[in-house]
Amino acid sequence: MATTSTLAKLRYRFVPDHVIGELLSKKWIDNAIPFLVLLCVVSLFGSLIPNFFSGSNLAIQARELGEFGLVCMAMMLVIVVGGLDLSVGSNFALGNFMTLALLNLAGWPVWLAIPAVVLICGGVGFINGFLIGYLRLRAFLTTLVTLIIVRAIVDMLLLKYSKAMSVSFYDSTVWDLIGLGGVGGVPSSFIILVVVALIGHILLTRSRPGWRAMAIGGSRRSAHNIGLSVRGTVCAAYTISGMLCGLSGVLYAARLGGAGTDTGMGLEIAALTAAVLGGNSLGGGRGSVVKALIGAVIVQVMTNGVLRIGMNSGSGPMVLGLTLLLAVFIDVRWLKNRDKLLSKVYVSPTLVELPTPRPTDAEKGGALALNDRLREVEIIGLDEVESPEDVILDENDYLYCGTRHGDIVRFSPPHYKEWEVYAHIGGSPLGMAFDKAGDLLVCVGGMGLYKIDRDRNVIKVTDETNRSAFSVVDDSRLRLADDLDIAPDGKVYFSEATIRYEMHDWPVDALESRGNGRIICYDPNTGKTHTAVRKLVFPNGVCLSHDGQAILFAESWGCRINRYWIAGPKAGTVERMVDQLPGYPDNINRASDGTYWCAIMGMRSPALDVALRMPSFRRRMARRIAPDQWLYPNLNIGCVIRFNDKGEIVESMWDKGASNHPMITSMREHKGWLYLGGITNNRIGRIRLGDWADKTWSGYRSYWGARS
Amino acid sequence: MTIAMGGWLERFLGRGTASVTVPPLDGALKPNSYLEEAPPGFTVAAPDNLALLDGAPVWSSGAQLLKLNGDKPSPFATLQSDVTALACSDAGLIAVACEKHGIAILDRDGKPAITALRDGGKYTCVTALAFANNDTLLVCIGSTDNPLSAWQRDLLEQHRAGQLLRIDLKSGEVKLLANKLAFPNGVLADKDGSIIVSESWATRLIRLGSDGRMSAQLIEDLPGYPARLARAARGGYWLTVFAPRSPLIEFVLREPKYRRAMMAEVAPENWIAPALRSGQSFHEPMQGGALKQMGILKPWAPTRSYGLVVEVNENFVPIRSLHSRAGGRRHGITSAVESGGRLWLTSKGGDEVVTINL
Repeated sequence: MATTSTLAKLRYRFVPDHVIGELLSKKWIDNAIPFLVLLCVVSLFGSLIPNFFSGSNLAIQARELGEFGLVCMAMMLVIVVGGLDLSVGSNFALGNFMTLALLNLAGWPVWLAIPAVVLICGGVGFINGFLIGYLRLRAFLTTLVTLIIVRAIVDMLLLKYSKAMSVSFYDSTVWDLIGLGGVGGVPSSFIILVVVALIGHILLTRSRPGWRAMAIGGSRRSAHNIGLSVRGTVCAAYTISGMLCGLSGVLYAARLGGAGTDTGMGLEIAALTAAVLGGNSLGGGRGSVVKALIGAVIVQVMTNGVLRIGMNSGSGPMVLGLTLLLAVFIDVRWLKNRDKLLSKVYVSPTLVELPTPRPTDAEKGGALALNDRLREVEIIGLDEVESPEDVILDENDYLYCGTRHGDIVRFSPPHYKEWEVYAHIGGSPLGMAFDKAGDLLVCVGGMGLYKIDRDRNVIKVTDETNRSAFSVVDDSRLRLADDLDIAPDGKVYFSEATIRYEMHDWPVDALESRGNGRIICYDPNTGKTHTAVRKLVFPNGVCLSHDGQAILFAESWGCRINRYWIAGPKAGTVERMVDQLPGYPDNINRASDGTYWCAIMGMRSPALDVALRMPSFRRRMARRIAPDQWLYPNLNIGCVIRFNDKGEIVESMWDKGASNHPMITSMREHKGWLYLGGITNNRIGRIRLGDWADKTWSGYRSYWGARS
Repeated sequence: MTIAMGGWLERFLGRGTASVTVPPLDGALKPNSYLEEAPPGFTVAAPDNLALLDGAPVWSSGAQLLKLNGDKPSPFATLQSDVTALACSDAGLIAVACEKHGIAILDRDGKPAITALRDGGKYTCVTALAFANNDTLLVCIGSTDNPLSAWQRDLLEQHRAGQLLRIDLKSGEVKLLANKLAFPNGVLADKDGSIIVSESWATRLIRLGSDGRMSAQLIEDLPGYPARLARAARGGYWLTVFAPRSPLIEFVLREPKYRRAMMAEVAPENWIAPALRSGQSFHEPMQGGALKQMGILKPWAPTRSYGLVVEVNENFVPIRSLHSRAGGRRHGITSAVESGGRLWLTSKGGDEVVTINL
């Protein structure tokens, strides 16, 4: 067999390819393009303008940004709920004028004047919000009207009071600190911006009102249909937007101390440009504080920069316009292609060199030799159950299995012809186990670990574990809890097969064959869940050893069975028990003679084994051809094997012609019979075991002894 | 430089030559199960080439030639090694190509006939034979690089080493009509003296003049690998397609490193390559869509083998097709003849000679 170079091994060991797909699936990756534009703009103007990165220039820029950033956030907020606010410039001018008027003419103290101005501007925003939210007027026209009217009011007020204002001068250390000072060289307006931005970010992304605003912007009708107060939220967004404009006006007043007719002229265009440049969607529902701020920085650096390079006055807006055009173009392409890109790059195979499989040829003999013993399997519930991944029997010989409809179905002894839905959980019920009290614990793909008590109540046991320290995606939720077993101390050990794929495309994980899975432990005494072993290759088939000292589990795509010691001198370590399997092991369960059953859910094909050594081949395959055409593990046929504590395979049972019960993911021995389940099957099978099997043995008694 | 860059870019983005496309089964090629559901035929091990001898079908199976005796097939001649191609002339001559012993000419009873054919034993990898007239034999050599049993290797290594020969049985003269063909796998002398050849690896039919120069591409981009041709009663032709193209195989054909490793380490029957039959062993490669659900293999599942015969009209436009789809038995159709309103087909993969009333 050709061997792979050490370099390639190292490359696939240490380069985390899968992170690309995970990054692309994060929401904040939308900021990537605006952020790149920001970097380009800053480096361009930084290199063109001397002293661009000097402390004094940065301080000046930051002070101005404090004002402009607030206005951009105001604009972003109304855009997020699906609206538009053209009156920000006028409102800003009103805020500026009112601040100066209240301080200089009315002689109000700063602590009173600032809230008053914020409220006045909030009032203007409220008028917008009332008209748009409650009276359902068009945002564009309404805010255009407020733009004109508020501007007119400011002009009239200026005409009347500008003379009186220009002669008076307000003197206060607090006011000077706001306008000219700062903390440790950082201008106060910038600090205010940061504080407001932090609060805004938390509100928008981590609070109910923020989520509602996003939902309304995303789809107003759906939001209404699910019972959100659309009108109130829209109105509130405009009101807050007005208040932010007011605050910005206050900062402007503190910096310049003067009011003119051109204050805030064209600010709405600049703010709108900034919001769109930052990646806030004009359609609503997609936006964030970070996007607004990125846009604000880009616009400010460009407008100031163009002037400082010494280009004529028309070129500023021209550069701004062209950049906006480019940004919108890139943004549209990005949005359109992001999901396509994600679906192409998400599958990220790694290098796997599987050891040569043990022979299965019928001629050569051996424990794994092909045979036809499963041809005589009796079929239970044909076409009545779908996807019985696991089967289990209780002390009264009732047979339980999960189905893909999320039900736990129970068949009645002795003939197993009658059945009933024992309980409905939802999701995809997979592995099952009885605890000492006789409650049925079930791993549910897509949901977590659930329990059905003897009164048939469905109780959630756990659906999250601790998040790993350096994971890009949140891996605390359980995506694919697979199989479980219960230790003598009551702790539940269960496997999560993969954290990168959902229930319906679990075989795709085989294409990656990376250690995407983990063994998780739930402690009923503390109610806590923690991850016990990480980076396992599709861990599956958890089973407590007969001595209760270790958990046996299969690593399906690794074609091996491991032992995880939970007690004794080797506690906490994992060791290899069986490897070189010719197929992919699934559930493991106890056998009556002190050995273990293991289902082989599918067989290795040599062509796939070669492909496993060539991750780039599989990566290109995942990109170039449709998922239906991908090279898969052969999950149409498998077998049952039995192995002992030393890791020796004792026997195997096959359905050679694949006619009766070829697909097996689980088996349970119960009173001389072996019951078989398979995840893509429409049936359950059972076969009588040979004389070696204890005809009185049951799983429950093996774990918990005879019930008292 | 630009071309190298372009090639690299195409491979990186999966465009142009690196894009994997397979024509859909559409129009007259729309899948059906006429072939799969046809009544049981004659069970014969790996029947390969059908021909009409005096109007009655004869076919090859292993090293034997069979014909109907009453309504049971019976062998009437046994060759030294497996027969790879067969043709009959109007005068009752039978041309047979064997895998190891080359071309021989027999009379209608299976006895060696006297001709001027010299060194008949030197021809290997003969995929098809046809009589242009009673004295002229057309010979398709699939590949001069590989024996016929290694046809999958010939595809995966992308050889174009096929030849078309014309042998004059009176004078013994051999003329090389065409060279560097992509596995010619079927040949037919048309009425106007031109020659129709199916090129399997190029998945097309071409027309050559009697001097061997290519004059037209009759069908291009077939959804499968074409095999032998026969005349149809309606004036057109029957075209057998012995295996389907699939996106995975097309993709593997663009992956030289993987192909080399696979051919070196994996047994040929388990290669990712077209096959005459599939689903025999769990060592064969399986594709995602072939995962059985509730015990059922979807008929549109990706498959390495398929049964397909297409009737094309005189302008080579497909007008009807008979299918045996994924999971079916009658796969690997290698030849067809129409006789007395019945279509005879050899399913080499399904070990059956099928007859269908048209």
